[in-house]
Amino acid sequence: MTGLRASSPPAPSPQAPAGTPGGPAGPATPSGPAPAGALVLPPILAGIRPRPRWRELGLLSIVAAALSAGSISLGATLRARDAEAGTGIPEGAFAPYGATLLAIYLGALLAAHVAQVLAGRRSDQVLLPAVGLLGGISLLLMERLPQTLAGQFGGLAQTQLVWLLIAIGMLTTLAIAVRSDSWLRLYKYTWAAAGVGLLLLTFVLGRDVNGARLTLELGPISGQPSELLKVILVVFLAGYLSENRALLVEQSTRVGPFQLPPLPYLAPMVAMWAIALGIVVVQRDLGAALLFFAVFLLLLYIATARWSYVVLGLAVFLAGGALMYAIFGHVQQRVDIWLDPFADPRGAGYQVVMALYAFARGGILGTGLGNGLPTVGGGQPGGIPEIHTDFPLAALGEELGLIGIMAILGLYLVVIERGLRIAASAADEFRSLLAAGLSLVVGVQAFIIAAGNLKLIPLTGITLPFISYGGSSLLANSLVVGLLLALSDRGVEPPPPPRSGRRLARLLDRGAP
Amino acid sequence: MTRASGVAAAKPRRRPVGANVARVGLVLALAFGALAGGAGYWQVMRAAPLSNASDNPAVVAAARRAVRGEIVDRDGAWLARSDRRDANGEPYRVYRSAVVSPVIGYASRQFGSAGLERTYDAQLVGLARPDPVADLLKKFDPDPYDPQRLTLSLSLELQQAAVEGLGRDRGAVVIIQPKTGEILALASTPIYDASGVANPVTSEAVFAELQSDDSLPLLPRATQGRYIPGSVFKIVTAMAALGSGAVTTDTTYAEQPKAERDGLLVQGFRVRDGHHLFTGNKALDFQEATEVSCNIWFALTGLEAGPEALAETAARLGFGETIPFDLPLGRSQITNGGGSFGAGFKDAVELANAAYGQGETVVTPFQMALVAAAVANDGVIMEPHLVTSLTGKEGGTRRVEPQPWRQIVTPLVAREIQAAMQRAVEGELGRLFTRGADVPGVETAGKSGTAELDGGANPHSWFIGFAPVDDPQVAIAILVEGGGRGGERAAPLAGSLMKTALDYLDGG
Repeated sequence: MTGLRASSPPAPSPQAPAGTPGGPAGPATPSGPAPAGALVLPPILAGIRPRPRWRELGLLSIVAAALSAGSISLGATLRARDAEAGTGIPEGAFAPYGATLLAIYLGALLAAHVAQVLAGRRSDQVLLPAVGLLGGISLLLMERLPQTLAGQFGGLAQTQLVWLLIAIGMLTTLAIAVRSDSWLRLYKYTWAAAGVGLLLLTFVLGRDVNGARLTLELGPISGQPSELLKVILVVFLAGYLSENRALLVEQSTRVGPFQLPPLPYLAPMVAMWAIALGIVVVQRDLGAALLFFAVFLLLLYIATARWSYVVLGLAVFLAGGALMYAIFGHVQQRVDIWLDPFADPRGAGYQVVMALYAFARGGILGTGLGNGLPTVGGGQPGGIPEIHTDFPLAALGEELGLIGIMAILGLYLVVIERGLRIAASAADEFRSLLAAGLSLVVGVQAFIIAAGNLKLIPLTGITLPFISYGGSSLLANSLVVGLLLALSDRGVEPPPPPRSGRRLARLLDRGAP
Repeated sequence: MTRASGVAAAKPRRRPVGANVARVGLVLALAFGALAGGAGYWQVMRAAPLSNASDNPAVVAAARRAVRGEIVDRDGAWLARSDRRDANGEPYRVYRSAVVSPVIGYASRQFGSAGLERTYDAQLVGLARPDPVADLLKKFDPDPYDPQRLTLSLSLELQQAAVEGLGRDRGAVVIIQPKTGEILALASTPIYDASGVANPVTSEAVFAELQSDDSLPLLPRATQGRYIPGSVFKIVTAMAALGSGAVTTDTTYAEQPKAERDGLLVQGFRVRDGHHLFTGNKALDFQEATEVSCNIWFALTGLEAGPEALAETAARLGFGETIPFDLPLGRSQITNGGGSFGAGFKDAVELANAAYGQGETVVTPFQMALVAAAVANDGVIMEPHLVTSLTGKEGGTRRVEPQPWRQIVTPLVAREIQAAMQRAVEGELGRLFTRGADVPGVETAGKSGTAELDGGANPHSWFIGFAPVDDPQVAIAILVEGGGRGGERAAPLAGSLMKTALDYLDGG
């Protein structure tokens, strides 16, 4: 596999690790830094050519320091409360958490780093620390919330840690192992069909939770297919748009002030979008519908640079939104709560009002980790229902304050910026669109749920990437980051030459004399 | 061939997507900027009102866990404190005396809070800190709560005397210092056992009994009871008429003496009066009419001044609006409104009746104390207040300084009314009605009222007044439900309470 790295010059001898002092390979490697000299490997690992990632290591050590400080602060706070009159948290509740869990998590991050060093790929060095810090904040938050809220593997924090570890493992595996994109590029319709099939399966076999049919259960495994579907949708859109981009741009027809793409070329895409959206609406998963639509529009813009498509799409969206408001009671209720949650603060608006109270209590500096309202969790008087999945931002807003919120928003912007940078410098259009779509999925999803928490838009029940509790969300988002890391390696297998055989184009051209 | 040309034509004009990606990145950056703005709005601009809201679970939780600050009277005697703990070790409130319950209210884990305990919940619990920097840095304080001690202007001694004076009757006494707006006593009867409500063991039983009690002990009558005022309202009519210049102190009405015998016919309704035996055929002026509480003179004066002038003066006194005060106040009104005669009055009959306090007019005892204070303080109402200072353990002390609220009438008009009210207590004929209100050795002014009720029930007994006339130290309003004529029940009580209050203030 190493031989596929096109841009790195072949080493003179596979037995000599890159950068051996004095060796001819050192100066011959243009971008490979030399200090790998320390990493002399035993002969049994001879095939491995490590490449140091000092920037990633430096950033990870900052992440470790920040999370350790947070953990110590949280531990001190909870212990102090424990000691005080024995109210609130039961005796010794903090003991199994804290240091041990964080140590395991940081160890996993370090292992991911080392694995990437050993793999020797030249992928992005900022994504892992940024995502690692978000995941660490999630771990601290889950330690701090009532442990009884959820959990397949023990308490809330333990379960989240297990998911985080699996997510890191998946992310690292993808980052190391994916060296070709043809399996994504070539089978886009297969992927799309699989995605739709997954959703249909959910619709038929799924389990209703809080009035929405989001969860698919197959034996012991349960998950939310819409999380996976968002990745599949991006893969399909990237493949389709990159293939038909020229046609979408060039052969537009003017309708009034708007330029419309030739309808036959848009049809499969609109169909895909409509099916996904339709099923999502039937499932009442408004957040996913909004996410899919926004990512679709933004990718369409990136591919075509036509604002008119975006304007058109927004108009269709607003019309659809108005229609849904008129037809569906649950949409109407969401919007009404959004407009005035204080109209029914103990009933319909309870969740939103409690979240706003939490933000307000946090103020600028926050109350400190663990120092928020003791009953901050759902199911307790004064708690925010579904805080661990729908309102983690409100909990963090209370305990870390406005500066904490700013830092978290900044971390998402870093992830988006790295992703878009990878998109802008990718080798071809498919990779550009794929990388952009993947980063948009994370960024737009974070925006939708954060804006819902802050009452900027109606609340929808999607997760805050990397922070919300839950396996489906963590795994889907680690899939995204893993793919981004793989795409960021400029040494990845070069894209295939543009295919001339566009089946659809051929069919159409045959039809026209 | 066509296929090849189509693809070939498109190819050279293809542009890289990098610029588009950058623009989308900018859009996302702006969106996240909006998120930061939203967070700033809730966490900075709206932070204070939301975090001190009484249904904010933090306030509720703190009220349950924190040791509430003490409440002390003007001499430093404790009225409420939290020095006992229940079986779970959570502190609960103890009140020194049931006589202050209608003022201080209660703070109960089961039944929430009332009175000052409710108004000052965030301060007593110590969630709100006086200055913004301390508020910002409170997270670094190991003890998150800074409970504040409330010092009241109330005197437990005077409050006790007022409640004893009301005895078994239901009623209210308000004693206020006209020059500062400080409330010295704010009694409502029947009183109730707030300690019983606050004690988690007895809470349920006591509260259930209070709620089913027909005498409505949980209604603070002084601040929220709304009553027909009767003749004490004539002082408001006088302010409106003299203040607007509609009448002068010399105004007399030729038809008045005759109407004393037969009643005054207003649009077919006969306004009656009952003192013609004393005044005979004399046409009375303002002072004489006040002294004998002449319904006919005030009805005619009300008509002379007109509905707008009466409504305007009443509104400035605080009728129909929220008066700034430490406790929620019932709204006083001069009419039910909706009428077409002017200012909501139905017709001249309603206005004429309202002018001597018998129309659709209802008032709180607290409102009438402000009327007395306005006259006593040369036309100016000082902002009424109960809490004179809040003391935190580190935040220092915040004092509530006296400040004028509103000028109702000019000092000249106020003095004319002062003189009339003095005659109503000390004048030759006034003494026949309200002698009991006179404080021995002190010039006393006042006005009694007898609020006639529908169905011939025993009338409410009213008195408002102040003393000494030349340098008023206390103003008072008294209501006794079903207490009979104002001069019989309320006036003597006012006299003795004003004497007690003046002695108390002299004694320091």
